[in-house]
Amino acid sequence: MNNDSDNMIDMYLYETNSLLEQYEEIMLGAEKAKLFTTDDINEIFRIMHTIKGSSAMMEFDSLTKLAHRVEDLFFIFRNNNSTASLSEPMRKELFDLMFRINDFMRDEVAKIENGEPLSDNIGSFINDINSFIEKLNGNVSEGDSNGKTEKDSGVAAKKEDAAKKLDSDGKIEEYKAKSHFTIKIKFDDGCGMENLRAFMIVNSLTDSIGDKFSFYPEDVEGNPKTSNYIVDNGFFIFLNDEALIDKAVAVIKSSPSVASYEVMPNSDGVKKDSAADKKSTSASTSKSGTISAASSKTALKKKSSQQSSLMQKTKQSIISVNLSKLDSLMAIVGEIVITESMVTASPDLKGLKLDNFTKSARQLRKLTDELQDIAMSIRMVPISGVFNKMKRIVRDMGQNLHKDVRLTIIGEDTELDKTIVDSIGDPLMHIVRNSMDHGIEEDVNERTALGKDPQGEIILEAKHTGSDIIITITDDGAGVDTKKVLEKASRNGILTKPESEYTKKEILALLLVPGFSTNEVVTEYSGRGVGMDVVKQNIEKVGGVVTITSEVGQGTCVTLKIPLTLAIVDGMEVAVGQSIFTIPITNMRQSFKCTQKDIIVDSAGNEIVERMGDFYPIVRLHKLYNIDTDITEVEDGIFIWVEASDKSYCLFVDNLIGEQQVVVKPLPTYLNGFSIKNAGIAGCTILGDGNISIILDILNLHTASVSSL
Amino acid sequence: MPDESFETENENIETDSQNIEMQKYLTFMSNNLVYGIPIENVVEIITNHNITKLPRVPDYVKGIINLRGQIVPIIDMKQRISKECSEKTRGTCIIILNVNDISIGILVDAVSQVINIENKISAPPAKNHEFISGMTNLPDGTVMFCLNCELLVNQK
Repeated sequence: MNNDSDNMIDMYLYETNSLLEQYEEIMLGAEKAKLFTTDDINEIFRIMHTIKGSSAMMEFDSLTKLAHRVEDLFFIFRNNNSTASLSEPMRKELFDLMFRINDFMRDEVAKIENGEPLSDNIGSFINDINSFIEKLNGNVSEGDSNGKTEKDSGVAAKKEDAAKKLDSDGKIEEYKAKSHFTIKIKFDDGCGMENLRAFMIVNSLTDSIGDKFSFYPEDVEGNPKTSNYIVDNGFFIFLNDEALIDKAVAVIKSSPSVASYEVMPNSDGVKKDSAADKKSTSASTSKSGTISAASSKTALKKKSSQQSSLMQKTKQSIISVNLSKLDSLMAIVGEIVITESMVTASPDLKGLKLDNFTKSARQLRKLTDELQDIAMSIRMVPISGVFNKMKRIVRDMGQNLHKDVRLTIIGEDTELDKTIVDSIGDPLMHIVRNSMDHGIEEDVNERTALGKDPQGEIILEAKHTGSDIIITITDDGAGVDTKKVLEKASRNGILTKPESEYTKKEILALLLVPGFSTNEVVTEYSGRGVGMDVVKQNIEKVGGVVTITSEVGQGTCVTLKIPLTLAIVDGMEVAVGQSIFTIPITNMRQSFKCTQKDIIVDSAGNEIVERMGDFYPIVRLHKLYNIDTDITEVEDGIFIWVEASDKSYCLFVDNLIGEQQVVVKPLPTYLNGFSIKNAGIAGCTILGDGNISIILDILNLHTASVSSL
Repeated sequence: MPDESFETENENIETDSQNIEMQKYLTFMSNNLVYGIPIENVVEIITNHNITKLPRVPDYVKGIINLRGQIVPIIDMKQRISKECSEKTRGTCIIILNVNDISIGILVDAVSQVINIENKISAPPAKNHEFISGMTNLPDGTVMFCLNCELLVNQK
């Protein structure tokens, strides 16, 4: 049971979070367009409605009430069919209110997640919404053209209610006459929100048996007053098909807070319908179709059935899985890959001619490859979730700092590993905040003077390059003033050499040093001296690299280069002395032998070799890494022509061992202090025989070799 | 190394000793001196492991080993403390430590024993002993240096 309710909370959190995300996205879009489309309104209505329903079921009262009021608000919009009639300040107020509510709800949901008590302090929101609705009503009734006002509809609803109360008994009789069975449901005393509980039952019934039933009171969804009726008389469900009763009962049994239920055959109905009784199901569907058409003309009902059919569809094709299960799946796949090469490359098999074995081994290899691809693809999620969060940050900060900035998002469909997506959220937020706060100019005149668009722009872009994903955050703001950076750095005492010796690149790299913040004043958003160094740390944690480029007056570009996945790479094993290194296959272009006379030596003693009409520098791995080896003559060893982004060069190694898939293991945390990543080492891996091979980072290796000259 | 850390360390130890708290230490030999590590930091002792060298690290970092799928860095105690390279002897072994979830192996000349220490641990006489949090007399009269594992892991 406990497990059950845990599951329910999990589902609730997952559902509510994604709904709130959806909600925020719609709000942002609508704010940009300065208009809610009918679809937007319906969608928000649906979201709030679902949140209300599920919160009521989980007994999170504050959320239920709040969602209910928001629903009311959007009900008005829906009746008016648009928010176009709103005046500018009203709209602004509306959006502010909506965003505040969204934040509040998110906070509450986070509290539920952490098992903290919910705050009941929703009075201010309710008041705000109420006063807004009042204003809105005043507004709308002034502009009489819209005709329908909330007050009117309220009055109408009341009248309807009264009318219904009068003929409620008659209605039941009418329903009974049309169907064969009645199920009467009573809820637990004092459980509250009976109408919503009833509606939840209706929803789950629709899921399990379709719409071949009707219920009374009909407007449980939209009319809280029906809960009184339900408390007094019960909630009635009318069914025609005997076969469906068991299913329906099962649904009702599993619904929370149901005190009792009663299945009663309707003798009248059977008599009346006896002729139609044995007819095909199509007849009964059409009948219930007419019933529902007659009973619920309201759009609400239609929407809900649409929604549930939609949910049914998604339910079938998507399941949510705990991430830790995927992690262990990935770990096992990794182990299988290693074990597979342990078996097929076993030293016991050396020199044996095993045709069948080789054939099966190849087959196995193919299958493990496939397994690995699938396991990997399961973990891939689009980066759009993270990017969309930035929209909100840009909006909020733009308003608070009075900067007009638009956010352009490119490549949001780019997929990468779930753990990586999770870990880049915070760094991205820091960078975007920095761009908003320090990057984009305070004064619009400053921008126009430079011939720039008065509206600032921040571009978020994600793209794949081979085994990496590149995320760039570009702003067209003031750029980084290198002089100021240097001044600040020397004041903070983080310079390691005389100021005059710093190159521009080095100065920009200072921004990533802990304890550096260019903004003189600490603001709400940035300037506490943490930020960019945290960004660097977080990105390095997932094996990524941060670089900053900037031109004064033109803007700043922060580039994050992150490996697509941390798990498995195809690598070429090479030997240098006693050590074994792995070069990612994606970086390799060619391996070749050559003789001393092919090598050109320049005046500084650098070795250069010609390949396909171009000249490439030679990096001797044993020299760079100070490894003892007997092979120092070019004729004895082998060259590997490697390439990473725009750098291309030839590595000199002792010999090739062979191609192998390796599972990347990060280097131990202890070693992070030695800036080992800058030395061209990306990580390490365990070979089939238990030895460790070091995985080279071809790009950083080049940098290391250049700086070691 | 800042002076304050020693003082606070000292006070802690004094209050500890008033309650006559027994602490277990694993003692080992390095460069003919006896060192002790609090037993809660010790995971295991291994011998004869194949160490993979790493390029571009300080000399005292011997490399990394594969400990049942886990990659553990190894540092040479002798080299770390006295800058002298230790030679491989029959007793040479690696003590795997876990300090604040960071795994690290230290290469030592020989492991001696696990002992209970109740004597008051005094501050080291000089400040040039890195990683040493105190000294004490063992029952057999030799002097044991207490190793501060946190500093060992965090100081680069």
